[in-house]
Amino acid sequence: MATLDLNNISKSFGNTRVLHDIDLAIRDKEFVVFVGPSGCGKSTLLRIIAGLEEASAGKIVIGGTDVSNAHPVDRGISMVFQSYALYPHLTVFENIAFPLRVQKLADADLRTRVGRAAEILQLTDKLDLKPGQLSGGQRQRVAIGRSIVRNPKVFLFDEPLSNLDAALRGDMRVELSQLHRSLDATMVYVTHDQVEAMTMADRIVVLNKGRIEQFGTPMELYHHPATKFVAGFIGQPNMNLLPATVKSVTSSGITAVLPGDAVVTLPVEPGTVRQGDQIEVGIRPEDLVAAKGLRATVQVMERLGGVSITYGVLPGGTRICAALPGDTPVREGDTIDLGVPVDAAHAFDQSGAVLRRRNAPQIAG
Amino acid sequence: MMDRYTFLQKVGIYIAIAAFLTFVLLPFFEMFRVSLRPLDHLMSTPFRFWSDDFSFAAYKQMWISVPLLGRYILNSIFIATSVTTLTMIVVIPAAYAYARLQFPFKAISLAVFLGVNMFTGAVLLIPLYRVLRTLGLLNTYWAMIIPGVAFLIPTGIWLLRSYLEKIPRELEEAAYVDGASRMYTLRRVVIPLAVPGLIVVATSVFIGAYAQQFLFAIAFNNQREYQPLPAGIFEFVGYQQVTWNEMMAASLTGILPVMLIFLFLQKYLIAGLTAGAVKE
Repeated sequence: MATLDLNNISKSFGNTRVLHDIDLAIRDKEFVVFVGPSGCGKSTLLRIIAGLEEASAGKIVIGGTDVSNAHPVDRGISMVFQSYALYPHLTVFENIAFPLRVQKLADADLRTRVGRAAEILQLTDKLDLKPGQLSGGQRQRVAIGRSIVRNPKVFLFDEPLSNLDAALRGDMRVELSQLHRSLDATMVYVTHDQVEAMTMADRIVVLNKGRIEQFGTPMELYHHPATKFVAGFIGQPNMNLLPATVKSVTSSGITAVLPGDAVVTLPVEPGTVRQGDQIEVGIRPEDLVAAKGLRATVQVMERLGGVSITYGVLPGGTRICAALPGDTPVREGDTIDLGVPVDAAHAFDQSGAVLRRRNAPQIAG
Repeated sequence: MMDRYTFLQKVGIYIAIAAFLTFVLLPFFEMFRVSLRPLDHLMSTPFRFWSDDFSFAAYKQMWISVPLLGRYILNSIFIATSVTTLTMIVVIPAAYAYARLQFPFKAISLAVFLGVNMFTGAVLLIPLYRVLRTLGLLNTYWAMIIPGVAFLIPTGIWLLRSYLEKIPRELEEAAYVDGASRMYTLRRVVIPLAVPGLIVVATSVFIGAYAQQFLFAIAFNNQREYQPLPAGIFEFVGYQQVTWNEMMAASLTGILPVMLIFLFLQKYLIAGLTAGAVKE
């Protein structure tokens, strides 16, 4: 059992508070991704879990044991660093064997365990090479090998794919997901890339300015973002956030006026929103359709084949992005109609909190 | 590319190099010339750069004139090697501590180290003499080794610290997460990666130790058998005359082993001095 509980973790560097009362319960064998913009505190939080950084306040509990003051090894964690942190003067074998050498493991046992790790990571024929002779993806695997050889309870990954090129990153994402399944271990993974978060995570922690914005499964975050920040962060291309004025609040939802005087009635719980309030309406580019509604002037088209990402402006200068079918006969400079599907739209009050949707789809997975 | 020069620039560079090398190497050339000529020809006028009476006779005669010459050369190497070894044993952990750990008075103590270096040994000769006398170390090898080590530690720390700071911190963090102690990390990760830097520091310490021997030897040691070469060479200064040719021959012979070592270490030196200058 390797649950990981963070209780009220705070961290300050001097007078700067970088983490505010982080409370998190990660289940056994779960793959959790910390995601957020740079400077949101995600790496600091990981380093606190690892024991490389001391929390200013709060408790870290791994597998039911309080390890707040324990050495990384006694915490049962292992960590893969962004730069791989391989020892350039040692062979791949010795790099992977390093944690076992520290433990003074018997040579025969050590050989079997390094051999097994090398087999899992397809490094068997590379064991005599030095890290400098390996490609980026292979170095990454050696770094992972060094972390699995000790059989830790919790694996920590600090942006492990950010040094790889795009194609390799895609492959490594799949490999890491498979590794997670075959090792059956708890994994915590830090990234700034929301695609990595969406594709690999069982659950995602979205961090912003040292606070947890939301903790949930990828599809929960996609369909039910708790805040404007999460809504803008999750999903590619980013969600459109259009300023709107509340015309009326009725039992069927909120009727709002969008830029260009388009009027929509959104089926959401009104909460404290009153007539005349300013709200923001969030619409994902992939939900916009060619129909009467908003009128936009197209500025840039990105034709990706299957879809055409269309960037335009609404009257009043608000930018909007729509993912239209690949062959949409639209050119830069054209004026197009974009229909707002009210069931798929989100609404946020002035504090950035979401107004609960009534007709959201069933969450898959 | 930054390393492209026009023909004129190249000519200028080579002229500058030639001027510098002439300035540095001319004394050695003169030493060599003097060592090859019989003593009574040395003072002849007019001065002749080249002559037909060159011979290696002085290189044979010097061993007879100063029977302990071999011993002096070995003493020199022994003292400089001991100073270097002891200095490195102290400097490596100290430089590592300055590069990685936080402790009170870190910056001030570093500055004080540099300040100590401002004093030459000569200023401190009398107090050092008293210290060594109290410890009963006068007229032993220690009298030349201990002050040598003391004066070379500060530079060593400064040099090595800046090199160690360039080793990525993540490597040590990875070792820490894997359960390695500070000393284990130092031994298995930091020192192997710092080898080029260690060679640079050891070389500069060795040169320093070689250069400062003379002062400590004449001040703290009367024992002929312990004298290093720079002090031993004084024996060529006689009551009647100075056998310049043999003295020069002895000096060159004494430098030779050190020069050979440098020739061998040259590639490490250049690699070490420029390592970490550019992100690889």
